[in-house]
Amino acid sequence: MSIALRGIAKQFGQFAAVENIDLDVPTGALMALLGPSGCGKTTLLRLMAGLETPDRGQVLFNGHDATRWPIRDRKVGFVFQHYALFGHMSVFENVAFGLKVKPRHERPASDQIRRKVQSLLELVQLGWTADRYPSQLSGGQRQRVALARALAIDPQVLLLDEPFGALDSQVRHELRRWLRRLHDELHFTSVFVTHDQQEALEVADSIVVLNRGRIEQFGVPGEIYDQPRSAFVHRFLGQANELPVEVSQGRARVGPLDLSDGSEALKEGNHIALVRPHEIEIGPEAAGWPARVLAVRVIGSIVRLDLCAAGRPLHEVLEAEIRRERYEAGRFGVGDQVGLRFRRWKLYAAASERSMAEST
Amino acid sequence: MADAEISGLADAGACLSVTDVACAHHPSRRRRLSRLVLIALALLFFGLFLLLPLLAIFAQALSKGVSAYLDALIDPMAWAAIKLTLLIASIAVPLNLVFGATAAWAIAKFEFRGKSVLITLIDLPFAVSPVIAGLAFILIFGAQGGLGAYLRLHHIRVIFAVPGMVLATLFVTFPFIARELIPLMQAQGKDDEETALSLGASGWQIFWRVTLPNIRFGLLYGVLICNARAMGEFGAVSVVSGHIRGLTNTMPLHVEILFSEYNYAAAFAVASLLALLALATLAGKSFLEWRQPQLRQARREPS
Repeated sequence: MSIALRGIAKQFGQFAAVENIDLDVPTGALMALLGPSGCGKTTLLRLMAGLETPDRGQVLFNGHDATRWPIRDRKVGFVFQHYALFGHMSVFENVAFGLKVKPRHERPASDQIRRKVQSLLELVQLGWTADRYPSQLSGGQRQRVALARALAIDPQVLLLDEPFGALDSQVRHELRRWLRRLHDELHFTSVFVTHDQQEALEVADSIVVLNRGRIEQFGVPGEIYDQPRSAFVHRFLGQANELPVEVSQGRARVGPLDLSDGSEALKEGNHIALVRPHEIEIGPEAAGWPARVLAVRVIGSIVRLDLCAAGRPLHEVLEAEIRRERYEAGRFGVGDQVGLRFRRWKLYAAASERSMAEST
Repeated sequence: MADAEISGLADAGACLSVTDVACAHHPSRRRRLSRLVLIALALLFFGLFLLLPLLAIFAQALSKGVSAYLDALIDPMAWAAIKLTLLIASIAVPLNLVFGATAAWAIAKFEFRGKSVLITLIDLPFAVSPVIAGLAFILIFGAQGGLGAYLRLHHIRVIFAVPGMVLATLFVTFPFIARELIPLMQAQGKDDEETALSLGASGWQIFWRVTLPNIRFGLLYGVLICNARAMGEFGAVSVVSGHIRGLTNTMPLHVEILFSEYNYAAAFAVASLLALLALATLAGKSFLEWRQPQLRQARREPS
């Protein structure tokens, strides 16, 4: 089932949670709604589910106006961050809930329900937990039960609100891959909300970046990461060093480096350059912007360096990330002078913070 | 001083009252002494103000022997008072159970205009003196009141009759169940209900299968407290009852009448029944708190 939002707006008191959003979720998509807290991503998801009614605009399911449809007619599976399992019911009863509340003429026979619940529990690899109670399960197991329960009503759409937010990083990592596999096997349309850019990049096949109730950018993960359309998106997806840049006579200079990419005519005035840590190259002092190494942290296969470039205040540290082998071959340590070069960077006008590519 | 941290407040108090030097010299003796003093004070207070009155009731009740005690209870007037008390409680408590649960459900799970007004209204019976509440009912339903003439025309007695006493009891005990449930339901949030909704459950199904099981202990607790108050209510009921012996006397009113007639043994015999009820309520409350520890955290004690 495809979902489309047309000019959706939702206000809570004075606070505009979602402003005039258009979005298409094609059938079979696995889409992430990504943004900082308060950006409207959860509201957007709840609007799709029917847990909120929009003040303006339309929600279309397969092209039909579903704006006023009650939740139970939408065939939507909804999974909460904190699982919301019914604590007084066993795992079996939790999963069976959606089947048992059906009106009598639609309700399957009890042995049919039993078979279906058991097969759903097998699907989430928790067949052995049927008689347990939610309080006896771990967080990851509870979330899988919640998923099995949502799948019991044969939803055509699966909506997940920060599904892995309450789990520790190891379990999270496993569940992400598992969800991806499940989605590929079962072919339903899924939308999940997250504030974790890594999660979005890893699981989703398209990402919507939201900020202050508006869509900042929509695209496939690689595209959003490599071609952010605004400084906000650039900063939000991965880390970025921020450098003030003065543009004069068509040249963008920072320290001894010339950051004019030559492709677009640069407007005069203040800009900022955003450079990701792994886009900084470190060489001998003479070969770039002179900088001093302030700190070195070895984090597994990568090494993170704090650098102070010549002409910049000491507290405005540049963060660089290089591969472990590169660091071990480079023979530099804390206090040494090195030379910096940027492999990639992006310029944004300081005032509007829109990308240059966008404004031209 | 690891030990001091465990014994907590007692030591902090002791060390504040004497110099640090003295504390350092005989830490263990000082500590033990101050602990004993504090425990003794607490016990004394507990005994004097809580236990002694309770014992006094039973002592007085049995002062003329067990047979006199039983006689006082099976006296027709006393028996009528007991039956009336049970009748009023058995009408008022179920009604307040329904009102309280619905009000709490509306307040905790839905957003609507006038919600804060409703919350304030629920607290009103706590703020108003029960006597005033009783007088208000007389003003409305009494002979001179707004509805008095109409009621008399149709031969319906409200004031100085059971309906008025039920109304007064309802009013006074209204907040108990709602106040008990609102914080509990607010703490539980709406996730369970929204999940049930997305799974296709109807409003009734959600209430019976999800919401009610989640609050069952809190609800039971509220019923207990509400019941204790309903049976013990004096002020409001006294005003609307008219004190007609054998007809509109509840147990607390009966106790008062016996007492003012200097019939102490009988007064305390009936009073001891009310005290027993209070003890049973407390026991039930402790049991529920033991079964459901989060009740203790979720509850905000009404003042």
